[in-house]
Amino acid sequence: MGSIKGTHVLQGLLLLLALAAPVVIGPYWTHVGALAWYYALLASSWALLAGYAGQFSFAHVAFAALGGYGSALLTLRLDLPLALSVPLTIIIAMVLGALMGALVLRLSGPYLALFTLAIAEIFRLMLVAEEDITRGSLGLEVPHLFSGNSDAPYYYLGLGLVVLGLLAMNGLLMTRIGFFLRAIREDEHAAQASGVNTTLHKIIVFVATSAIASVAGIYYAHFVGILSPNMVIIPEMGLVIAMAVIGGIESLPGAVVGAVVIYAASEMLRDYGEWRFVLLGLALILVQRFAQNGLFPFIERILDRKPAAASASAKVVRPEGEYANPS
Amino acid sequence: MTYFLLLTTNGLVIGLIYALMAAGLTLVFSVLKVVNFGHGSLYMLGGYASYYAISLIGVPPILGIVIAMVALFIFGVAFERLVLQPMYTDKVERKDEYAIIVTFGLTILITNLALVVFGPFSKSPPSFLQGTLIAGPLILPYDRLIASIVAIVILAGLAWFLARTSLGQALDAVSQSRESAAVIGINPKRMYTIAFGLGSALAGGAGALIAPIFALSPDMGELPGVQAFIIIVLGGMGSVGGSIIGGILLGIVQGLGVGYLPDPNRALAYTQAFGALLLIVVLLVRPTGLFGRAHLRLD
Amino acid sequence: MPTPPEAPYFAARQLQKHFGGIAAVDDFSAELGRGEIVGLIGPNGSGKTTTINLVAGAFRPDTGTIMLDGRNLVGQPAYAFARGGIGRTFQVPRLFRRMTVLENLMVPALTNTRTSRRQAEARAREILAFVRFEHLADAYARTLSGGQQKLLELGRSLMLRPSLLLLDEPFAGVHPRLLEQIVEHIRTLSAQGYTIVLVDHNLDAVRSVVRRTLVMARGRKIADGPSEEVLQDPAVIQAYTGTRKAIEGRA
Repeated sequence: MGSIKGTHVLQGLLLLLALAAPVVIGPYWTHVGALAWYYALLASSWALLAGYAGQFSFAHVAFAALGGYGSALLTLRLDLPLALSVPLTIIIAMVLGALMGALVLRLSGPYLALFTLAIAEIFRLMLVAEEDITRGSLGLEVPHLFSGNSDAPYYYLGLGLVVLGLLAMNGLLMTRIGFFLRAIREDEHAAQASGVNTTLHKIIVFVATSAIASVAGIYYAHFVGILSPNMVIIPEMGLVIAMAVIGGIESLPGAVVGAVVIYAASEMLRDYGEWRFVLLGLALILVQRFAQNGLFPFIERILDRKPAAASASAKVVRPEGEYANPS
Repeated sequence: MTYFLLLTTNGLVIGLIYALMAAGLTLVFSVLKVVNFGHGSLYMLGGYASYYAISLIGVPPILGIVIAMVALFIFGVAFERLVLQPMYTDKVERKDEYAIIVTFGLTILITNLALVVFGPFSKSPPSFLQGTLIAGPLILPYDRLIASIVAIVILAGLAWFLARTSLGQALDAVSQSRESAAVIGINPKRMYTIAFGLGSALAGGAGALIAPIFALSPDMGELPGVQAFIIIVLGGMGSVGGSIIGGILLGIVQGLGVGYLPDPNRALAYTQAFGALLLIVVLLVRPTGLFGRAHLRLD
Repeated sequence: MPTPPEAPYFAARQLQKHFGGIAAVDDFSAELGRGEIVGLIGPNGSGKTTTINLVAGAFRPDTGTIMLDGRNLVGQPAYAFARGGIGRTFQVPRLFRRMTVLENLMVPALTNTRTSRRQAEARAREILAFVRFEHLADAYARTLSGGQQKLLELGRSLMLRPSLLLLDEPFAGVHPRLLEQIVEHIRTLSAQGYTIVLVDHNLDAVRSVVRRTLVMARGRKIADGPSEEVLQDPAVIQAYTGTRKAIEGRA
């Protein structure tokens, strides 16, 4: 596990590209890139939640909105400094994430999806309804983090957050917790019968991914400068899901790449209007149909092709690299 | 008193249409064990199918409903064959996930395709019957009256079909146990296809019914879609009777809520949130719904 | 070769489990001494697997107690049963399909926070040797044949040195050569002092390993004693009516 693999080289190259990009691509695309990092954070943390831990939550963007609105409101209405409102918001998100994890323990599959979807809808409707606090559909103005006109600082902050997020999540996956998450995802009953405290681990994942989602939301809020309940509409969650699924639902870097590619593509194809989302829907169906683990792991496999392990019963044993190594 | 009656009857009308849509969703769930997250978009397609049948081919509006249902049946069958069938083999590893994702992809695909092809502006198909019924304190536009009657007829037909015909009973058998059904000679895969087609047809019919009442737009399926999820959880995933009762209840409660809550902005939002809240509470307490049954039953 | 701990005394008392009005397990009681191996048989739907699930903690009984070495396990979450000394296999093997054979085995060991990865791996390799899967260590579990999956699950159930081993249909659907191997493994485990409950429909295989058999029908225990006696018991024969062949052993 310590050797440098093709996939590491690829990721390193992508990182270098990302670092150098703003110089080459110009201000418009730097702005696009900075927004793409928001989705990258959401897609990769959702991949951890749904792909690794098997918790198919539709409430992920709601946690991002919680982060954004939370930080904004704490700063605006309670006059707290950012240094205080940001950590406070993240803590609130973690607590609510733990609560969510506890509530969905007995649910699975479509029930869990429906449950989290309902929670997200309620949250969105509260944001719309409580106009006095949130300014509802009119939009809430949020102070920018950096002064000045350039989006480059935001771009690099976003990139930094994505890298940190990936490192943190990989770190988690490398631990025993990550090992058990894989087991839980494969077969929860078997995991329990093996002594794994599935309850605890599911809650841990919810806490971790809610934290990251809220950070994404905070980043978005203080970058874009305006928040609206439209952050939480179902198509937004669908976009995040599509990014993770197409990029690689069990590959965190894959989800990041998926997010960037899809978001950039949607900008490039802006002239084609809604056709780009028709394409997205089609891509989502096709990728699920033909490459269930996403495109990035598919590419990874080509790079990492190992000779089949020699064994006495070669006919039965065919080690396949289905499971994408985190990093 | 008339205000209350007005709200209740309108709520009942909407509720019946929701019930029709939810019945389709629950049918698909009970037989295929799949929650069709694209159900709302099928509802929308049904509305447009009816509209174009009326305006392009010139059929009378009532026939538009039939055409919508047939068209959506065919569409449902095609989607099931092309996209869902692989789920039944070992090629697909995480079946629940697969189903959620592809049906979600369907929604993205169809809704945006509708936006491009039909345009974002709402369209109004002609009424089933112009005018309004006034009977004592009751004031009801004929469109709504006819929509409710047709919805009741379709639902009754569905109930009869499931209970009395061999095909309907075959569907019930598969919903209870695909292995046992296969043993007695029923082909589960064929049943999945039929169930999905039927479920889509029901959604399409609901869309065609509501089109003259509320007008068509590509995103018209979003909210009703969420309502349908709420209803099937309330009524019991797999219980058609439960969907009917749940649909009517939800429609009436929402109608009353919007009418009686003082602040209009809050009223609309919280009425919708109420349904979602119900769903959460029900799932926490009884994960199989109020009339919970894992398989298809009429009551 | 793995060695078992001092196998404790086990008792299930008056277990009841209803599913929507139907009593899947009705007033089931049984006691096992340390190191005993018993068979649990019965026609389809008799409640054998539900009983296993109750004893393993997968379901919570409506009433009744499950005592293992003096402690009542009822009320604890499922994973606590496993950590508390219950090892089990499933009717249809539940493996971590996209993890390797070695990783499958390591999962239980790592649930003890005081066990390091190295220790877990060492223990896993012990078990690998026991089931003779050394050459399959890095194979993905889903590439294994049905019989191999059963063996792997058996191995996994041994990782925490269980005080009570529950084997749910270890012989089902396994071809004869591998079946011999599984029977041999179970005999070895019993000889080492493991306390085992063996559920299966293959009465020949069960009889070749156990001396004492429990019979269930319609949720209740209808017989409990030496295998030869139990299989002649009229009540047992009646429960199997229509499948007399089963009593005489499968062809």
